[in-house]
Amino acid sequence: MTAEDAKLVCECQYLGLEKEGLTAGTNPNVVGVGIGHKTVRGQPTGEMAVKVYVKQKLHPLLVKDGEVIPDEIEGVSTDIEEAGEFSIWRPIPPIYQRKVRPAMGGLSIGHYAITTGTLGCVVRTEGADYILSNNHVLANENRGVEGDPILQPGRFDGGKPEKDVLARLDTYVALDPEGANVVDCAIALPFVAQDVSPDILNVGRLRGSRDAALDEKVQKSGRTTRVTNGTVTDVNATIRVGYATGSYIFQDQIVVRGERGSFSAGGDSGAVIEAYDNSAVGLLFAGSPFFTVANKMTNVEKALDAKVV
Amino acid sequence: MASVEEVKHRHEVRLMKTPGVVGVGIGRKDGKDCIRVYVKDDSPKTLAALPQILEDIDVEIVVSGTFKAL
Repeated sequence: MTAEDAKLVCECQYLGLEKEGLTAGTNPNVVGVGIGHKTVRGQPTGEMAVKVYVKQKLHPLLVKDGEVIPDEIEGVSTDIEEAGEFSIWRPIPPIYQRKVRPAMGGLSIGHYAITTGTLGCVVRTEGADYILSNNHVLANENRGVEGDPILQPGRFDGGKPEKDVLARLDTYVALDPEGANVVDCAIALPFVAQDVSPDILNVGRLRGSRDAALDEKVQKSGRTTRVTNGTVTDVNATIRVGYATGSYIFQDQIVVRGERGSFSAGGDSGAVIEAYDNSAVGLLFAGSPFFTVANKMTNVEKALDAKVV
Repeated sequence: MASVEEVKHRHEVRLMKTPGVVGVGIGRKDGKDCIRVYVKDDSPKTLAALPQILEDIDVEIVVSGTFKAL
């Protein structure tokens, strides 16, 4: 009998796969079966063996009757390997989606009840520094109340109210379901001023704000699509935007088309759109499959009576 | 001649009420300012309901899909 045949027997008896003439069974400690060289005390012997991968190697006396793996199966040696449990590979999430202190523009953030959005930048009003993002990121579409915890990273990225609170919701501009909206913005006050930096991840620091020109090149740093480049294709758009709580009309918006692929995706809301001279020109909040829509940063500053730091 | 902003302002409520229209804006086409109308899809019914020129200003129809908060 070859190692291949013996392996089929093991697959049937330990992992429950079908094999003619045999009764399928499972062994709760076995996580895999394969073929390889038999190793003894760490040295390969050159002999081909059926590899039986187990969660934990135990002394035969501690293994339940009927669950002991025999030394050989159908004349082929077995080699028991401790493998632990196999699991799907979870890569380390990108820094944009992890906890970072000091927190800065581009990182995952959100009101404790939402999925996640992006921290835009630091703004200053009445001598204090606040973090800026959208109403729908920091204030849960008008449903948040002053003092609500803001998590970094956001809940979808594993942020927990007991250990990842960065700031408290301060002020938001209410979304109006009946009239025309100009901004979707809110600010939150960090609990510790040193926990926030005016940098924008991978693009550096902002230098003030202004309006973008038609056809101007811009970039943004956001939680989902990270740094992307695009072109302003509209500087005075009126757009209907769908939210969880309904549909809202926005006026005086800018529209951006991505340079290579999409300029943004879900989770990038709140990112600051900046021109190549580092002026903040927009606050990203919505998109269609082909376009990204942003509030003009000058309108955001007016609405909150705050300035980009 | 009226500015593109004025023309857009005069017509945008009517345009936004056209079924299939999700946005109205201002862009540039062939070096000239134009009015852009964003539509959900290129259904012939929507396209037929939209003008090509408004008060001497070109109208560019852009298939954008619907806009959602990100």
